[in-house]
Amino acid sequence: MEHIIENLKQFWQFTGFANFEIGYLIMIIIGCLFIFLAIKYEWEPMLLVPIGFGILIGNIPLFAGLNVGVYEEGSVLNILYQGVQRGFYPPLIFLGIGAMTDFSALIANPKLLLIGAAAQFGIFGAYAISLALGFDAAQAGAIGIIGGADGPTAIFLSSRLAPTLMGAIAVSAYSYMALVPVIQPPIMRLLTTKKERLIRMKPPRPVSPTEKKLFPIIGFLLTAFIVPSGIPLLGMLFFGNLLKESGVTKRLANTASGPLVDIVTILIGVTVGASTQASQFLRWESVKIFIIGACSFVIATFAGVLFVKFFNLFLKEGNKINPLIGNSGVSAVPDAARVSNNVGLEYDPKNYLLMHAMGPNVAGVIGSAVAAGMLLGFLG
Amino acid sequence: MKHLKLFLAVVGLTLCFTAGAQSQDAMRLNEYLVINTDDFQDDFGQQNAWFELFNSSYGTVDIAGCFLSDDPDNLKKYAIPGGDVMTKIKPRQHVLFWADNQPYRGTFHVAFDLSNAKEIIFTKGDGKTIIDRIPVKHDLGENVSFGRIMDGLGSVDGSGEGWSVQERTSPSTNNALIDKGAKPDRMKAIDPYGWILALTAMSVVFAALIILYFIFKAIGNANIKAGKKRSAASAGTDVTKSAYGEVPGEVYAAIATAMHLYQEDDESHDEESFVVTLHHTDRTYSPWSSKIYTLRQTPSVNKRR
Repeated sequence: MEHIIENLKQFWQFTGFANFEIGYLIMIIIGCLFIFLAIKYEWEPMLLVPIGFGILIGNIPLFAGLNVGVYEEGSVLNILYQGVQRGFYPPLIFLGIGAMTDFSALIANPKLLLIGAAAQFGIFGAYAISLALGFDAAQAGAIGIIGGADGPTAIFLSSRLAPTLMGAIAVSAYSYMALVPVIQPPIMRLLTTKKERLIRMKPPRPVSPTEKKLFPIIGFLLTAFIVPSGIPLLGMLFFGNLLKESGVTKRLANTASGPLVDIVTILIGVTVGASTQASQFLRWESVKIFIIGACSFVIATFAGVLFVKFFNLFLKEGNKINPLIGNSGVSAVPDAARVSNNVGLEYDPKNYLLMHAMGPNVAGVIGSAVAAGMLLGFLG
Repeated sequence: MKHLKLFLAVVGLTLCFTAGAQSQDAMRLNEYLVINTDDFQDDFGQQNAWFELFNSSYGTVDIAGCFLSDDPDNLKKYAIPGGDVMTKIKPRQHVLFWADNQPYRGTFHVAFDLSNAKEIIFTKGDGKTIIDRIPVKHDLGENVSFGRIMDGLGSVDGSGEGWSVQERTSPSTNNALIDKGAKPDRMKAIDPYGWILALTAMSVVFAALIILYFIFKAIGNANIKAGKKRSAASAGTDVTKSAYGEVPGEVYAAIATAMHLYQEDDESHDEESFVVTLHHTDRTYSPWSSKIYTLRQTPSVNKRR
């Protein structure tokens, strides 16, 4: 009997209850909140469900030495986490994004590229705020990239510049991407007049298959020559797009945009979630990162919308751009474009801005990858 | 076809040679010590003059076949031998040569010393093209080396720009200590508020996208012109065909139907909201997915006659 009681005591020591701390409970509540928001409001469910459940996985109180935690070398979770830590998941996701993105809107109206560039002010605004709040330059660069509204880029850059902050940065980036429909519309309304919101843009011209094939090749060569440090992201993005547009690699494009990106999304979501262990995550820095992340999205939206208004000063009547697509310069594809469309429809039920907004939206993906390359070049 | 293969072979070989030559171009004379009485010892326990080469590139460089000399009139004084893996210099790494005039002691012992040397010259495998050169100072004193202030940076023409007397010798290692966090720290010191980086990086982002804009604007204009020509050529022949620049009515009808079905929220989209799915109906054949190739061969009966 004594032997059994002794074993039960030992078993108790191994349970999560015996190792419980309040931090784990807070993180479990956050994980459940993510899952709730994803299921109830369908806010980025593809990301928030894996991340939310990953948070639950990563915050089961563990007896040290069980070799199951994400930070314990050689554990299954740790091996899966290598894709985040060494940065090979993000380029694979970019391959999928390239294979599923239609750059036609951008090719048809290339001036929309500039809106994608303007919205990157969010990144550098956040960089400046981070420096002011006491982060070192490398950490500030990693935090700043949240303003690009691009999860894979944020993970890629933070894994190189500030690995210790990667969990907080990734969760912050994905959270605010999910909150794009909440954050952006008030700013868009604040900065535009009713007349501007009613601007109807010319339908984009049809784009020839040759132009679509040339775009990834020229786009890659140009951007990679300018910012070689962005090659992993830019290379895979444009390569994926060439698979799609070449017309002769349909199966590869389907795999890249379907099963491959799904698998990597699952792995990146769960492992990023699991990396937010209470001991690593519940720190004052994480709170600051969340505050800076919110600021970066606000700055990016401000910059995008104001840039369109400024740009319109130089455009002839009839060629003007609806400033409601300015918010789409952040690379949260296609959520930001959907927001432009929905806000536009509120004021004119027949003014569909989705196709126009997709231009700056995909330009934002290119812009944030270039910006990430710059940060890596300066601070890496 | 034969010509194409020949052309590709020539291009390939040219690229190989160019790539090799370019990488050797990245090698730099980095530091030297003339009078060694109490400094680094070689494998034979002797203290001799030494000099250092640095691979300033981010790729491995093989220096086998290149030449080292102390005499501008004889650039081929010492040929770096092949067949030694140690001549493959890793990215941003150094290699040390002993100027002891005893080349039989190994790959890294050259056939001259620095006691009367005018300069040290590193030459390509062709024996003519000088990659880097530096005059030798004989007034440095004992155990004092002369080297680049920052590894790999500075002149390659013998002017000595970017070189200085070193505070301490650093054979086979960096002249300037590199702290892992040095780059971000320097950046923060130069740009404490982040405005310089912001303006620089935003300029680059804008520049990249503006160039892309001009290129695709030009391609688009050319395409529209070509479309108009095609359209004019086919005018009045077939009304169902359209050139680029014109959208057939059927396309608008299909888009309108899809948008209508989407807004009506019927079963036109799959389980995810906000997604309209247009299913493919074509079945493209591929032997990879053909079931017939996964089946065993049907047994056949050979009938005897």
